[in-house]
Amino acid sequence: MKVFPYIKAVSQISIQEPLTDVWMESPHWYDANFVRSIDPDFKPFVPAAQGRRMGKLLKRALTTSLSVIRESGIACPDAIMMGTGLGCIESTERFLESLCRDGEQLLKPTHFMQSTHNTVASLIGIQTGNTGYNITYSHKGISVDCALHDALVQFKLGMIGSALVGGNDEVSPSYFTLLKKIGFVGQDSEVCGEASVAMMLSNEQENALCQVKGVKVLYRPDVCRLQSALSQMLSEADTSLGGIDAVMTGISGNRLNDKYYYDLLPELLPGVPVLHYKHIFGESYSASGLGVYATVRCLQHGFIPQSLVLEQPTCSVPAPNRILLLNIADGKDYSFILLEKICGK
Amino acid sequence: MEELILNLKKEIIDVLNLEDVKPEDIDNDAPLFGEGLGLDSIDALELIVLMEKNYGIKLQDAAKGKEIFKSLNTMADYIAKNRKK
Repeated sequence: MKVFPYIKAVSQISIQEPLTDVWMESPHWYDANFVRSIDPDFKPFVPAAQGRRMGKLLKRALTTSLSVIRESGIACPDAIMMGTGLGCIESTERFLESLCRDGEQLLKPTHFMQSTHNTVASLIGIQTGNTGYNITYSHKGISVDCALHDALVQFKLGMIGSALVGGNDEVSPSYFTLLKKIGFVGQDSEVCGEASVAMMLSNEQENALCQVKGVKVLYRPDVCRLQSALSQMLSEADTSLGGIDAVMTGISGNRLNDKYYYDLLPELLPGVPVLHYKHIFGESYSASGLGVYATVRCLQHGFIPQSLVLEQPTCSVPAPNRILLLNIADGKDYSFILLEKICGK
Repeated sequence: MEELILNLKKEIIDVLNLEDVKPEDIDNDAPLFGEGLGLDSIDALELIVLMEKNYGIKLQDAAKGKEIFKSLNTMADYIAKNRKK
């Protein structure tokens, strides 16, 4: 049976204005290699008494999650599925720093508790009283993609009817230095940012923003395997290559990783207009979640902001019906996510 | 003693991240847990770490904690008598 969940709400906190779509008209542009997220006022989402023990990432995650819970009206989704590359890295650093400084004697409990990658998903479960399926995927740059893939599989199996899916990553100054050294971020014109994204998926169409028509995650595929996986996904979605209006890529300005896209695109998706979002939202392990968020907004509003267009299409795409997300992380992990506009909207 | 109490208040606010609390808001005799500041068991662990780190006091007997952390005055009194730093 073909089951394709709907996205009922999306929310983001990033280096763009938080919790709004202002970036579509007037995005912030940055010259720096490392920019931290613009935080909203957390008070409407995180009571001070509960928030005092939470690090920034937890507050951001809870805010985006509660935002989509309120917008969708789904107070208790069947599953909470989160992706993160680094977890609450600032708490981890503070815990380890104090461990080193104090001779491995004095362990700060609050930072220790927040040092695990699944802190975010569990906190959302606790704060929303949700005791359902709760999982965290930590697979570097495709963590969010894996969470979304899990959701789609469980929808198909009839295990769930709704799911809160998201991705959260913060980058501390010291970790940025390390990531830059290994060439993951901050290379060439690339901006390293932070990402907190939440989306509410449901099998009910009412008031939906768009539909998830497929997710594929592949490890070290060759072009043939990519073509085969894409073809299979498009077939399951009752469409073809010609039905893709644009491809949203993770091209970021980092020549090392961008090369994988430039080498692959002419062969995999010839003639399809190429979009990108990381020059606006920055690179991070959860950035692909922001790619999904940006794509949802394009389909919802029926237009693609010029700032997202990487290569000028030969013919314009006034109102996209179907956008494919292509994520390549480190030349090893690949993912396809196919999003489709709601019929009649 | 007054200086110790004021420093202790500042340290508690800092280590427990009591953002909207000022030193003068903390009543020296009010209970630290439950009512008063409304602290909980994780805060108790943070206070034990604070006493060891800042004052060199190792709390060996957990049962004593209840009496020591009864209020800011009892905590300051215990620190004044047992501090090694």
